[in-house]
Amino acid sequence: MAAKEIPDLRTLLGPRRGGGLRGRGGGRGGFGTSHEEKEAVRDSAVRGTDQDAAGSRVSCVELGYLDDPYAELFATQASTRRLPLLNRGTYVRTSAIDNLVDRFLTTSPTSPKQVISLGAGTDTRFFRLKDKYPNAQLIYHELDFSSNTTAKLHSIRKHSQLHQKLPTNTHPLSPQSDSYHSPIYNIHPLDLRSLAASSSDTPPPNLPNLDPSVSTLILSEMCLIYLQASTVSSILKTFLTHYLSPTTPASLILYEPILPHDAFGRTMISNLSTRNIVLPTLTAYPELGDQRMRLKQCGFIDGYKGADTRFIWRNWVSEEEKERVASLEMLDELEELELLLRHYCVAWGWRDSASGEKDVFSKAWEDTREQV
Amino acid sequence: MSIGGSDLDRAITQLRACKPIPENQVRELCYKARELLIEEGNVVGVDAPVTICGDIHGQFHDLMELFRVGGDVPDTNYLFMGDFVDRGFYSLESFLLLLCLKVRYPDRITLIRGNHESRQITTVYGFYDECLRKYGSVNVWRYCCEVFDFLALGALVTGAATSLTPTDGPIAESIQSMDIPDADCDIEIETLNAQGEIMYRYARNSDSQSSAASQANSNAASSSPIAPTPSNTGPAGTGATSSANGSSKSETGAVLCVHGGLSPLIDTIDKIRLLDRKQEVPHEGAMCDLLWSDPDEIDGWGLSPRGAGFLFGADIVKCFNHKNDLSLIARAHQLVMEGFKEMFESTIVTVWSAPNYCYRCGNVAAILELGEDGSNAGFVRRGNGERGGGGRGWVLGSNDGPNANGMSNENRRLSSVLGDSMGRPRDGPGRRYRVFEAAPQDSRGMPAKKPVADYFL
Repeated sequence: MAAKEIPDLRTLLGPRRGGGLRGRGGGRGGFGTSHEEKEAVRDSAVRGTDQDAAGSRVSCVELGYLDDPYAELFATQASTRRLPLLNRGTYVRTSAIDNLVDRFLTTSPTSPKQVISLGAGTDTRFFRLKDKYPNAQLIYHELDFSSNTTAKLHSIRKHSQLHQKLPTNTHPLSPQSDSYHSPIYNIHPLDLRSLAASSSDTPPPNLPNLDPSVSTLILSEMCLIYLQASTVSSILKTFLTHYLSPTTPASLILYEPILPHDAFGRTMISNLSTRNIVLPTLTAYPELGDQRMRLKQCGFIDGYKGADTRFIWRNWVSEEEKERVASLEMLDELEELELLLRHYCVAWGWRDSASGEKDVFSKAWEDTREQV
Repeated sequence: MSIGGSDLDRAITQLRACKPIPENQVRELCYKARELLIEEGNVVGVDAPVTICGDIHGQFHDLMELFRVGGDVPDTNYLFMGDFVDRGFYSLESFLLLLCLKVRYPDRITLIRGNHESRQITTVYGFYDECLRKYGSVNVWRYCCEVFDFLALGALVTGAATSLTPTDGPIAESIQSMDIPDADCDIEIETLNAQGEIMYRYARNSDSQSSAASQANSNAASSSPIAPTPSNTGPAGTGATSSANGSSKSETGAVLCVHGGLSPLIDTIDKIRLLDRKQEVPHEGAMCDLLWSDPDEIDGWGLSPRGAGFLFGADIVKCFNHKNDLSLIARAHQLVMEGFKEMFESTIVTVWSAPNYCYRCGNVAAILELGEDGSNAGFVRRGNGERGGGGRGWVLGSNDGPNANGMSNENRRLSSVLGDSMGRPRDGPGRRYRVFEAAPQDSRGMPAKKPVADYFL
């Protein structure tokens, strides 16, 4: 057998097995490791979560749960079929957020709008929205660790389906770059914690093309949950008062786990900690009510709502669509699915403009059914 | 080589250590198992005492914990209600061990089929991949699937006592001892933890404490509205009464064990017996329903969100139990966080035996012990062994002399002719639940490669 015909077995290993988490010293959280090393291990684990999400998305697309031609272009690991309950969960998560985003974009459709996606990773939402709302006046921003934005830009350069969506006359997609800027799409490489650390001496980093006066939706899909509650508050404050002017309509959509104190929740915390994944705000905001209150306290005073994903599956998804989704795979893990869905929530809050009149977010979301 | 005698014991030893046996031994084992299973009817007759277990799902270390809590084979007579494979990391070792025990002690362990004992489901939920990974080929998976096709669809437990001999154990720390009924009462339900401490005890209504058979017969523990459809002839469990002879107080009906539940196509146990079971689980029909259906708080029948089987309500269960002279249906199939769940006035119970299911759910597991009523000859009895003394007198683990009850069926048939219980709900069997948690993590030797997307990240 000629050497080049011998397959490189390492390429068959997913990153989880071949490198990444495994390559570090010190084992599971490691004894004898310094605080900094632990932090580094955790950071790397958090960065690694993105490929988890990407793989789940591809699995969903391949089975017909989601229509997303871009998902596979960003996934770096060979696609593995996820269990039906995980596919169902990914479906509910994605379609719930799509629903809220759609309502936002279709309310006063001609007025300019801005989306800031925190820890966006390989998320494909920008490209999907571009197809769905070609005429929307949308400025899209993604923020993530530099290693993740580099990988994302690499994929965008590689696939014409992706880079042909971007304006040709702007910032070129140069090799090795970890940032991208254009009037419609921006990728900012940064550690979100740097937005919390800012003070008058060290102002927050410049985010090109971020418009302080355009109605802005901030998205956190499994992102802020990885940070300390105080850090999260500071980050949100930075957005709501520094990057956006205080009178700009703004909103936040959170997707994250809840109910840490029951048997499933305790097991989740313990299982994730063996992967060096810690969810500090999970215990800070254990229930839906806590999530609503936190949204209000952050400044989203005109609306603060929440629903777990079980409620969303039951109440947001039409009967017809439920039937379609249910027919995709035989799902034997019903009780487990219910458990899983009850432990994740979508919470959304907003502030309208200071005028006191109902603004874009109230119009878009007031009727969206929350869990009582 | 042939697997039998000492080879079989060696295989059991190896599997107990969670080490797979060589492919040729698996082939031999599966061949032997098929020869054995082909002789079993679709509904296997099982005599109490018996310990009924729910889903295992390849959680080998938790299966060892189950044996530690419930007693070892052959000391304890076991009935496993299917779903041995898929989801957990050790489906292969778990199933092969159970199969070895079946071949070695055929009268002391009963295996019935779950919906995961199927080619289609195992290719989605892990057993296929596990076999491929552990042997490098799918031969072992094929052998196992051929065994699956021969597994019985249900079991009918007869001779269970209506009351428990109270456990002579300490009361669990967390429990107020004043809540525990006196051991002299007629104990219907007892829940023990893995240490054998009493967590819960429930006495049947005081009438049944009497030793007089006539009073026991008139005791209606359940006020269930039974649809008046008695048309019973034939042997136990087929629609006739399966009670012990009339002079005994231990007057419980049979217990039907099935993985999922009932089927709109099945109104008598005889109809289960008539199915051609030796095939892959079909996508629909009676055989599919028995393995896939779930009880639910509805009237009549409903569509199952699982995409196979049906949902069935209390009226369906009560009618079926009455028509078939059952006092209880024991089934598995659904995760219950507390390990077991009785529904519909204790006419059906879900038993779940995979603690911390998928290493994720945080649930406890349970097994259900049914004692013998003393109508079966040849069992050791405790105390005065008085007949009609409230059914107490069975001793856990003292079941030497299996299947020594040559005459009990005849007695039952006779009592059915006497028609002593038409239209009257039966006392359920005395039920002892042993609840246990997952084996400690470090004893589990979790493989380094954990499944990728345990959670949404």
